[in-house]
Amino acid sequence: MLPVTKIQHFCTKDGPGIRTTVFLKGCPLRCIWCHNPETQSMADQFFYAEHLCIRCGICEAACPSRVHHITDSGHCLERSKCTGCMKCADACPTGALERCSKQLSAEEIFRSVMKDAAFYNGIGGVTFSGGEPTVHAELLIPLLRLFRSQAVSTAIETCGYFDAAILPELTAVTDWFLWDVKDTDDRRHLANTGVPSHKIISNLKKADACGAKTILRCILLKAVNLNTEHLQNIAAIYNSLKHCKGVELIPYHTYGGAKQVQLGQNETVHPEWIPSSDDIYNAEVYLRQYAPIIHN
Amino acid sequence: MKTAYVDLDDIEGFEGLSVTEKYNRAIRRIAEKAPIRICSEEKICGAATLGDAIRHLVPARYKGQNPFYSVSHLTIRYDKVLKQGLNAYAEDIAKRLKDTSLSEEEILFLHSLENVIESIRIWHHRYLTATENRRPDLHRLLHQVPFSPARNFHEALQSLWFIFAFVRLCGNWPGIGRLDWLLGDFLEKDLLNGLLTENEARELLASFFIKGCEWIRSDPPVGTGDAQHYQNIVLAGINADGNEITNQVTFLVLDIVEELAISDFPITVRLNKNTSYALKEKTAQVMRHGGGIVAIYNEDLILRSLKKLGYADEEARCFANDGCWEVQIPGKTNFAYMPFDALQIWNKVTGITADKIPEYNSIEELYSAFRDALYEAVESLYSSHVKSAYICQNGVWQARGGIGPDSVVSLFEDGCIEHARAYYDCGPEYTVRSPHIGGAPDVANSLYAVEKLVFEENKVSFSELVQILKNNWQDNELLRLYAKNKFVYYGNDSDEADLWHTRLLNDFADMVNSFNEKSNCPVKFIPGVSTFGRQVDWLPNRCATAFGYRKGDILSGNDSPVPGTDTQGATAIVKSYCKTDLTKMSCGAALDIKIFPDSLTGDNGISALIALMDGFLALSGFFMQLDAVDTQTLLEAQKDPQKFKTLSVRVSGWNARFVTLNREWQNMIIERNAQNWN
Repeated sequence: MLPVTKIQHFCTKDGPGIRTTVFLKGCPLRCIWCHNPETQSMADQFFYAEHLCIRCGICEAACPSRVHHITDSGHCLERSKCTGCMKCADACPTGALERCSKQLSAEEIFRSVMKDAAFYNGIGGVTFSGGEPTVHAELLIPLLRLFRSQAVSTAIETCGYFDAAILPELTAVTDWFLWDVKDTDDRRHLANTGVPSHKIISNLKKADACGAKTILRCILLKAVNLNTEHLQNIAAIYNSLKHCKGVELIPYHTYGGAKQVQLGQNETVHPEWIPSSDDIYNAEVYLRQYAPIIHN
Repeated sequence: MKTAYVDLDDIEGFEGLSVTEKYNRAIRRIAEKAPIRICSEEKICGAATLGDAIRHLVPARYKGQNPFYSVSHLTIRYDKVLKQGLNAYAEDIAKRLKDTSLSEEEILFLHSLENVIESIRIWHHRYLTATENRRPDLHRLLHQVPFSPARNFHEALQSLWFIFAFVRLCGNWPGIGRLDWLLGDFLEKDLLNGLLTENEARELLASFFIKGCEWIRSDPPVGTGDAQHYQNIVLAGINADGNEITNQVTFLVLDIVEELAISDFPITVRLNKNTSYALKEKTAQVMRHGGGIVAIYNEDLILRSLKKLGYADEEARCFANDGCWEVQIPGKTNFAYMPFDALQIWNKVTGITADKIPEYNSIEELYSAFRDALYEAVESLYSSHVKSAYICQNGVWQARGGIGPDSVVSLFEDGCIEHARAYYDCGPEYTVRSPHIGGAPDVANSLYAVEKLVFEENKVSFSELVQILKNNWQDNELLRLYAKNKFVYYGNDSDEADLWHTRLLNDFADMVNSFNEKSNCPVKFIPGVSTFGRQVDWLPNRCATAFGYRKGDILSGNDSPVPGTDTQGATAIVKSYCKTDLTKMSCGAALDIKIFPDSLTGDNGISALIALMDGFLALSGFFMQLDAVDTQTLLEAQKDPQKFKTLSVRVSGWNARFVTLNREWQNMIIERNAQNWN
C-alpha cells in the first residue's frame, strides 16, 4: 500500500501533455518553502480548516483519543494525542476535518490514473510527486513499469535525494525526471532543506549517465538564491548533462503557509522571498544564454 | 441606431389588407426607408440600421405596435446566392408560378417571396446610388452581387454579407453557418490566379468581422448579455461528398478572432478523427485566449446521430447549427426548441412543491414515478408543438396556422419555393421540434442523494427529507452539510454517481425519440439538453435540493455539473458527460468547461487543450465550449465595469461582454467559474 495524499487529474504542469499526478507521503527534506507540507511526514495526518467548522461536536464524540474539544471559545485540538485513526475526519460532515492521505494499493492507483487514459494522446501520462516518491522505490518502480507496459508516459518529480542504487531500475521505467535543483550553495541548501546538495547533484549526474531525460526545476527565492552565481551554477549543471531538456524557473510563493496552519504547524512563509515578475524575467534572460528555458 | 423602425400608419387601407399583404408592405417600406450606412474604412457594405431589429422585432410599426413575427434559430442558405445570384431565385419563383394547380394561398405566398426580392433590389439600388461617387470600389462590387453570381472572393463576401444584413434588417437573426465552405473555393481561385494576396484576404475578412459588431452598443443595456444575435459560424469538417473542407478561410477566421478578439460571431469547429494537428493547434490557441469564442463539435458522433434520425449521409454531412449550437441542416430546416425544467418536475413528484408528500418504498419506485411525470411533460410538448400544430390535408402536411408571414427567411430556405409553403408552414425540407431538458444534473444528483440518505444509509425518512427541503434545510444544517460533502456527485467520473445522470438522459432521449415512431407526421421530434442560462430564470420556482443546496443557489447549466460539486478537473467532467449515449441526443447536449488560464500557459497548455479535445472525441462527446478566465478577473470586472468593457465570456450558445450581463447572470458565470483546478 502507498500513502497517497491526492491523485490530481488534468495536470498541465507536471510533465508533457495532460498528466495525472499522484502525490505520495514521505520526504527526506524539510524545505522551509514546502508547498505540500502534508507530504513530508509518513504519518497519517488531518487538515483542520477552522472556517468550515460549525462546532457540531461530532468529531469530539468520534475521537477515541480526546484530540478534539468543543468549548465556548471554539474548537481546540490536542494533536499530540492523535494516533492517526482518522475517525474524526471520517465523521466530520462539513469538510472542516479532512484526511491528508489514504492508503491505496498499486492496483487502486493504477485504476484511478487510467481513468484519464483517453486524454494522454501519446504524450501525457502519470507523474509521481510528493513528498519524495522514491521514498517508496520498492513499490514505485513496479508501478511505473506497469504504466509503461500500457504505453502510458511516466514521470517523477524528485528532490534527487535518494540511494543511487535504485537508479538503473528507476531510469529504465521513467520517461521524465522533473528534478529539483533547489539551491547550488551547499550551506544554504542544508540550512533551508535539512540536507546538503552534493548527493542530489551527484545522483542527477548518475541518472544522466543512465540516459534519464530530465528537466531541472529551480525554485527562485529573492534574497536567498536569486543571484548570478546560482544561475551560473544551474547553467553549469545543465551543461554537464547529456539528456537534460532544459530549466524551469519556479518563483517562490507562500501557498504552503495555509496548509501548515491546517496541519497545526507553525507557518514558515517569507513574503519577502517572493520574486517579482521582472526578477524572473531577468533570470530567464540570463539563463537562456546557457540553457533552454521550459515554460509550463 | 438612431432610427428604430419604419412607420406604416400612413398606408391607406392598411387594416383591410391581408396579413401577407401587410407584411409585404412592411418589408418594402423597410427597404425604402431604412437609413443607409457606409463607413469610410469598410470593405463590404450593407447595414441593418433599424433599432427594433436588434431587439429581434420586424422593425415596422403600425399604430405603435410591431405586428409581425421575426425568426431566429435558423441558418439560411447562402451558397446559392453566392454561386447563382439572387436573380436565380426570381427565375425559380417565376417558373413555379406557372404551375396551374397552385392554390390562391400558394400563389399569394410566392408573390410574397417576389416582394422580398424586389425589396432587396430597392435596398440594393439605394446602396448603389450612395456608393457611386463616395465609394466606387463598393459600387463595383454591388454591380455584380448579390443579384448575379459572385466571381471572386471579395464579391462572394459582399454577397453573403448583403443578404445576411437584409435578413437581419427585417428583424430576423440567422446564423452564418459554414463560412469556410462558402468562401474557400473563391479564395483559393483568387490566390491561385494572383488576384488577391493572403494579407488582402485577411483584411477583407476582418472587415466582415468588424461589421458583425454593428449591433453592439457603446452603452449596452444590462440583461442577459449582448452579442447574442445568433450569428454563429461553423468551421471545418467534411462536405457532402465526405471530403474535408478545411481551407485557408478556416485559418484566416481563427487568426482574425485571435488577433481582434472579436467575440460577436461565436465559432464552432467541427472536429473529426482526421482533423489535422494544425487546425487543432490553431483552435487551441484561440481557445486559450478566453472569451469562449471557439467551441467544438464532435463531427463523427453528430453524423452518427443524424443518420439515426434518417438523414441521408450527404445531407447530414452539411450540418451546421441554428445560429446557437443546436445542430441542424442549414437552409433546409424549420427549427424550434422547447426548454423545460426537469428539476421542477422532480420537485412535484417528490412532493417538495406539492401539498401532500407521497410515499415511496424504494429509489426505483421513486424514479419510476419521476420517469412517468417526465413522459407526461414530453408528451404534452409533443401534443402542443407537433400533434396539434400540424395537420395532413389532401396528403400535404401543413401548420395549423398562427405564425407568420415569414417570407424573408422563407426565400432562403430550400423547399419553400418548391412546396409553395412558408418557413413555418412545412415549406422547408425539414421541420424539427426539440424538447430540451434542463436541470438534468440537478435531478441526477437529487436521485443519488435520496438513494443514499433515505434508502441506503437510513439517515432520514423520505417524508422527513422532503419536509426538510420544503423548509429549505432550516435547522438541519448537519444533514445538509453531510449530503453536500460526503457524497461524490455527477461530474467527477464516479460511475456510481454518474449512473443516475446517464440513466435519466438515456430514458429522456428514448422517450422523445419514440414519438417519431408513433406517427407518420414528418416533423422530427428530437431530444436536446440545455439551459442556456435559464438556471438563473428558474431559480425563483426551484427549491432546496437533496444534495445540500439551498433555494436560490445556482445549479447546473446545460449538461455541466452543479457548480461546486466537481472537484476532479476537466477530464473527469468530460468523462462523466460522455457516459450518456449522445448519439440519441440528436439536437445536442452542451458541456461547458471552465479552465484556470494559468494551467494553459506555455507550449504544454496547447498540448493539453488538444489532448482534451481528442479525449472528448474519443469518448463520444457532442459539443464542448471551453472558457479560460479566472474568477478574480470576473470579480474585478463586476466591481469596475468600465475597466473591463471588452471582457467576453461564453454564456451559452452565445458570447457576451461580461459587463452587459445583469448581476444574477454575472453571479452565475462567477459561480460556474469558481471551481478552478490546479
